[in-house]
Amino acid sequence: MNGVHDLGGMDGHGPIAYEVDEPVFHAEWERRVFAMTIAMGFYGAWNIDSSRHARERTPAAEYLSSSYYEIWLGGLERLLDESGLLPRAETEARIAALRAQAG
Amino acid sequence: MPVLTATDAPALLRKGGSARVDADIPARFAPGDRVVVRNLNPRGHTRAPRYVRCKAGVIDRDHGVFIFPDTHAHGQGKNPQHVYSVRFSARDVWGDEAAPRDALYVDLWDDYLAPA
Repeated sequence: MNGVHDLGGMDGHGPIAYEVDEPVFHAEWERRVFAMTIAMGFYGAWNIDSSRHARERTPAAEYLSSSYYEIWLGGLERLLDESGLLPRAETEARIAALRAQAG
Repeated sequence: MPVLTATDAPALLRKGGSARVDADIPARFAPGDRVVVRNLNPRGHTRAPRYVRCKAGVIDRDHGVFIFPDTHAHGQGKNPQHVYSVRFSARDVWGDEAAPRDALYVDLWDDYLAPA
């Protein structure tokens, strides 16, 4: 697909921010998103190429305003929904419940 | 159903998952062959970047046989085929302002290419 993920040669995204000794993860939730994606991939309901494609299918405006692991989380939620393993309505309900709990 | 346990995870991550296929599939191109990237605009997944489509390059090396992502992403089979490192002159890709001696190498599947 001719999506916004295919960034090669595009201008207007600003300079690349280099970090000295860049950590693999910048927050604990990123570590968990990566682990969940690998663990669910091992389950065999999809493959690495369909997993990449799920991330590419992030709506264009959302893709460009999301961080790397936000895109990974969205891709995992999309695959879980499409495979029927975890319908989006259940994810949304859980988010709402946790939000209410957090106050 | 397969379950990945915390105990198994380190070994699995070290090993990684290769898309290489052990199959005797003939290569359509050999190093030195001139090729052009087809004008592909699939609605689905592809690993052919837009900036090399319709550009001419030269086969630099043959990596061997790999799963074809464009079909595999959609449950349409592994469709194993050769992947080549294709050399493009920077000027052919980015125009006359690119440095004359710069080049870029892009790994491309057999189905992306046509003889130039």
